[in-house]
Amino acid sequence: MSDMMLEIDDLHVSVDGKDILKGITLSIPAGEVHAVMGPNGSGKSTLSYTLAGREGYEITRGRILYRGEDLTQLAPEERAAKGMFLALQYPVEIPGVATMTFLKTALNSQRRARGEPELDAMKVLKLVREKAKTLKIGEDMLKRALNAGFSGGEKKRMEILQMAVFEPKFAILDETDSGLDIDALKLVAEGVTAMRAPDRAMLVITHYQRLLTHIVPDRVHVLAKGRIVKSGGADLALELEAGGYEHVMEDA
Amino acid sequence: MTALAVKQALEPDLFQEDFAAHAANLPGAGLSWLDKRRAEAMKAFNATGVPTRRVEAWKYTDLSAALSDTLAPASRVRDAAEGEGAFADIPGARVVFVGGFFHAAEGSEAGVEIFDLSTIDASTPGWVRDHLGLLATGAEQPLGAASLALMRSGAAIRVRSPNAALHLDFLNPFRRSDVVSHTRVLIAIEEGGSLRLMESHTGEGTDQTLANIGMEFVLMPGAKLEHVRLQAETPAARHITSIGARLARNADYRALYAALGAHLSRLDVRIRLEGEGAQASLRNIAAPHEGIADITTVMDHASPHTTSRQLFKSVVGGTGKSVNQGRVLVREGAVKSDSHQLFKSLLLSPRAECDAKPELEIFADDVICGHGTAIGALDDDALFYLRSRGVPEPEAKELLIQAFLEDAIGDFVDPAVHGALWQRLDGALKAMEQTER
Repeated sequence: MSDMMLEIDDLHVSVDGKDILKGITLSIPAGEVHAVMGPNGSGKSTLSYTLAGREGYEITRGRILYRGEDLTQLAPEERAAKGMFLALQYPVEIPGVATMTFLKTALNSQRRARGEPELDAMKVLKLVREKAKTLKIGEDMLKRALNAGFSGGEKKRMEILQMAVFEPKFAILDETDSGLDIDALKLVAEGVTAMRAPDRAMLVITHYQRLLTHIVPDRVHVLAKGRIVKSGGADLALELEAGGYEHVMEDA
Repeated sequence: MTALAVKQALEPDLFQEDFAAHAANLPGAGLSWLDKRRAEAMKAFNATGVPTRRVEAWKYTDLSAALSDTLAPASRVRDAAEGEGAFADIPGARVVFVGGFFHAAEGSEAGVEIFDLSTIDASTPGWVRDHLGLLATGAEQPLGAASLALMRSGAAIRVRSPNAALHLDFLNPFRRSDVVSHTRVLIAIEEGGSLRLMESHTGEGTDQTLANIGMEFVLMPGAKLEHVRLQAETPAARHITSIGARLARNADYRALYAALGAHLSRLDVRIRLEGEGAQASLRNIAAPHEGIADITTVMDHASPHTTSRQLFKSVVGGTGKSVNQGRVLVREGAVKSDSHQLFKSLLLSPRAECDAKPELEIFADDVICGHGTAIGALDDDALFYLRSRGVPEPEAKELLIQAFLEDAIGDFVDPAVHGALWQRLDGALKAMEQTER
């Protein structure tokens, strides 16, 4: 196995016949957290959906290797079973599906696909409660339907709870900071930071620098018009905050 | 219009022939009050006959075309098959109908009287005469009218208890030929009385039998009726139930209807909110994948401060069709009426069909009336969300379909009813899934 968690090579993606990603090359080693920053419309969400395998995101050129394996033909659920996780910018409300039922179904689906024994309801409940505590997710939230009527902050915490329960090898956080107040942001950032590990990598996609003061990335990449126009260390995020995207893009 | 269609329309239909030949031998024939109500009902039925699509209220559901050519009036089934209704585990008295005929009343509940309408005669209690045949009839419910005019059997129930529970188990055994049964149910709940009614229709066989049922609910002031109804016959069954309800002051009718199996089923409901403060809340779920499931309602706000809620949800697969029609009428003077209806349908296959027709007629000021309709496929965002968390596509779809229906059930019924309903629903959804493969 490669010690590279993710290798994206010359990735071109079109949606509804329109080219959105125009040649992205990016490598994320195990143990690292990378940030992708970019203005609206730069292709950030397209990148995250493509990595997660959403239908309608057509790879027209290039490839994605995940732990040395070509992902492009795998369904979203197969990628999840292999340890990929995408925290959505807008988590979907699903009234009628109890949160605990969902967590148990999803966790056991992943375990089944990996050939691991399934966990019974009591074990899942215990696991979820333990993880929920640190994210200040109460019993009442777990008893409700999945994300139904949750505030923006509650939805994002539920995403991080799922990440903690599923323990993915590679997590993509798509604008997890959007719509969060400062307290919720800190809580989410702590949850994410707690999951940093030598055998795990993360891709944090964000529009603003503020999340990155809490989750300090190893590398920062600037995405603009479907290409990575600049890469650097954590300082690049501060530079962007000070000078704006246009300034950096002119440099590039 | 073709010459053939004209000829068919002019021909007396099966029900008219039945009435002409057998009116004198029907239960209670010779009781002048009943003869009169039956004759009026037959006249009302004759205005349309068995409805074709040319009758506006039936334009999505062609009953005439769905009926067997060899349909004949049903007689009692001998050696009645044993069986039990869908809510058998829940306590309560039980009225069993076999093939549309009153078969037995089992158990007893304090403050509940049960009367077999096949034995109606001059000694019949006064409360039956006071109510029977005044609702679920008339030109707007032609099949309800036919069920009264041609009534062969049925039950009349009076409730005085403040917490009664009653099962109506309609068992439909296999018939060697296609028959039509006409059954009436009258439920009168006295002032302050309360009834939990669990009604189920189950069946076996491949016959194209038509069960034609008329139900009358009379709710006196403050009376309460909680009604759960499961219609789950065979894929060949034809089923029409016409409900007529009258709610006096502060009476409360809550119903959850489920239509899970028939070649054609129609639930035709007319509710009159007659007294101030009366309220009705209807939920309907349907899951057709080869037949038609039709619910048609008229909610009549006739007094001030009346409230109605209607939420209809259908999941349609295969070549199934769901019909949702709801007319809300707010009469002059029915100020502060509050009404809402919402119809939502999920279409799971390219040949699935849904027809939705909400209507509002308002003749009063100062009312709140809302309605909405949504017809669509499974939500792509939700499907992707579940799959991205590792749930395989077929299970993700199943979860979303269950969630869609659960939305109409979960907060409405207690766990016992919930469990019994889902047992049947799961079966219906599995059968639907088979057709999608």
